[in-house]
Amino acid sequence: MTPETETEPTGSDQPNGTEQPSGTDQPTGVEAAELGAGVRSSAEPVWRRWLPFGLLLLGVLVMLGAQSQLYSGQERTVAAIFMFVALAQGWNIIGGFTGYASFGQVVFFGVGGYFTAVAMSHWGFNFWVSLVVSGLVAAAFGALIGLPLLRLRGHYFAIATLGVAEGMREVVTNVPGLTGGGAGISVPTVGKDATTAYLGNDGFYLLFLALAALSVLVAILVARNKFGFALRAINQDEDAAAAMGINTTRAKVSAFALSGLVTGLVGSTYAFQQVTIFPQRLFDVDITVLMVVMVVIGGSGTVLGPLLGAVALQFLSEYLRRNFTEVHTFILGAIIIAAVVLLPQGAVNYVREARQSGEWSLLANVRRYRL
Amino acid sequence: MTATPVLETRGLGRRFGGLKAVDDVSFSVPEGQVLGVIGPNGAGKSTFINLVTGHIRPTSGQVLIEGRDLAGAKPWSIAHAGVSRTFQIVKPFRGMSVRENVAVGILYGRKGTSRMSQALEQADEVLAEVGMSKLGDRAPGGLSVADARRLEFAKALALRPRLLLLDEVMAGLRHSEIEPSLELIKSLRERGLTIIVVEHVMKAILAISDQVLVLHQGKVLTSGEPRTVLSDPRVIEAYLGQRYVQRREGGRS
Repeated sequence: MTPETETEPTGSDQPNGTEQPSGTDQPTGVEAAELGAGVRSSAEPVWRRWLPFGLLLLGVLVMLGAQSQLYSGQERTVAAIFMFVALAQGWNIIGGFTGYASFGQVVFFGVGGYFTAVAMSHWGFNFWVSLVVSGLVAAAFGALIGLPLLRLRGHYFAIATLGVAEGMREVVTNVPGLTGGGAGISVPTVGKDATTAYLGNDGFYLLFLALAALSVLVAILVARNKFGFALRAINQDEDAAAAMGINTTRAKVSAFALSGLVTGLVGSTYAFQQVTIFPQRLFDVDITVLMVVMVVIGGSGTVLGPLLGAVALQFLSEYLRRNFTEVHTFILGAIIIAAVVLLPQGAVNYVREARQSGEWSLLANVRRYRL
Repeated sequence: MTATPVLETRGLGRRFGGLKAVDDVSFSVPEGQVLGVIGPNGAGKSTFINLVTGHIRPTSGQVLIEGRDLAGAKPWSIAHAGVSRTFQIVKPFRGMSVRENVAVGILYGRKGTSRMSQALEQADEVLAEVGMSKLGDRAPGGLSVADARRLEFAKALALRPRLLLLDEVMAGLRHSEIEPSLELIKSLRERGLTIIVVEHVMKAILAISDQVLVLHQGKVLTSGEPRTVLSDPRVIEAYLGQRYVQRREGGRS
């Protein structure tokens, strides 16, 4: 292969005009069309390497500019979207790239949130220190439970993680001296007890935006670096991955810890934003379900999928809540079912495959992925 | 030839409940040799490979790789010790191109390559070795049976192993497709690679093996020079059965 720096983009002189690698062996259109999702060529043009970073920066700038145009209610709604983007990207690392569907992902959210609340109210930590430490604690917790749990595969892993999250909620509920138990715990935000002044709508908008951007940045890096390559290999065939020299235990535990870190940071911020938190909410299985649905609908194991999934689902959910208050969860559920049936591989993977094969029929797609 | 064999097993065994899938297997492979491993279905050939490569933990015995006991070590440790393998049922990474499949082994199984672009370039070199240079951009799902088997080869070679274990790389191939595989194994052997070939295709075993090891019900039935072993009445009875004898007779008349 020619070194990347000397390679010119050859997309324009390809007969079918799709993304084609340039190199010594030009594939035919048919061969390229056979490539599945996520296949990158070895000699992509330089601009394309930096494109995701550029788009991310642009997105952040646009959202910064949009802030002044939003009412405080809208600002909260958009901040919630940012929060779910970060949560979905967090789940995507372990559930999407690595293929280990964690159904107890909310445990990191809860651990991060409770660590922050306890540290700020009992130990006098300021929020920023609590935020960082909460993320690290959640990551360490992920590594700790990952060591035994990541030996399980498929449904067993899903059930075990679900058990951990439920168990952790009970633990938090049953140490009222520290956590306030079922009555909840409040972060001091006013007076001399306040370690950090409350950030307000504007502050949380910016913080959640930063977390969303961080989570997307992590996803971009994971998608293209060596570590992410190992995760994809594990996802696609774990035995083969181990035989080729990948320390699968280390890779999986690292992925789970990284996923815990992102989710823990979000939980920490959420706790401060809510001021008072309860175990039922911070360890709510519904939050896990939302993360999973957002990633699966958008396209798991991709950078764009969880982002789009989170934005679309939050918008839709908010719209339905406003306009069809009585039946909004019912309609939302029906739409999710339809999306999963029609696009089992997620929207991003569907578009990618359709662009390569030229086959856009949803019916054909259903047939291809039916169980 | 060095004094230390590339691979030596001592009393290697694995029980699954009451079943001894591999029972007290002791043998060694000197550097640069090709060892053929044969045996009827259920003889423990695949379990034996899995024991050597760490995919299954042995319940007894030692696996010495260049003199170092690695029994019970994890598959990636075995891979880093210079042993790579193919799988009987091909295991491509289906979401990656053929080139990326090979690059995984270069990034993680070799020393000294950690950059993605470099690994992809080196993957093309490996693909050229096995005659797949035109197929780098293809998805593994679209390959023919022969090419899918060759990809297994390429993935194993990506690690630059000193010992290569081939688990039925010729199964399901046509006669015309077996020849290139044999040539490839011969050329690897000429480069000094030590190879263990588990195979049902007798023609292949005879053509490439320096030694043959016969497993039967998890035990070593016999071992030695290929033609001697294959004409051993116990081997013919236990493994080759009537069909092979008849075909040989038929071939002569």
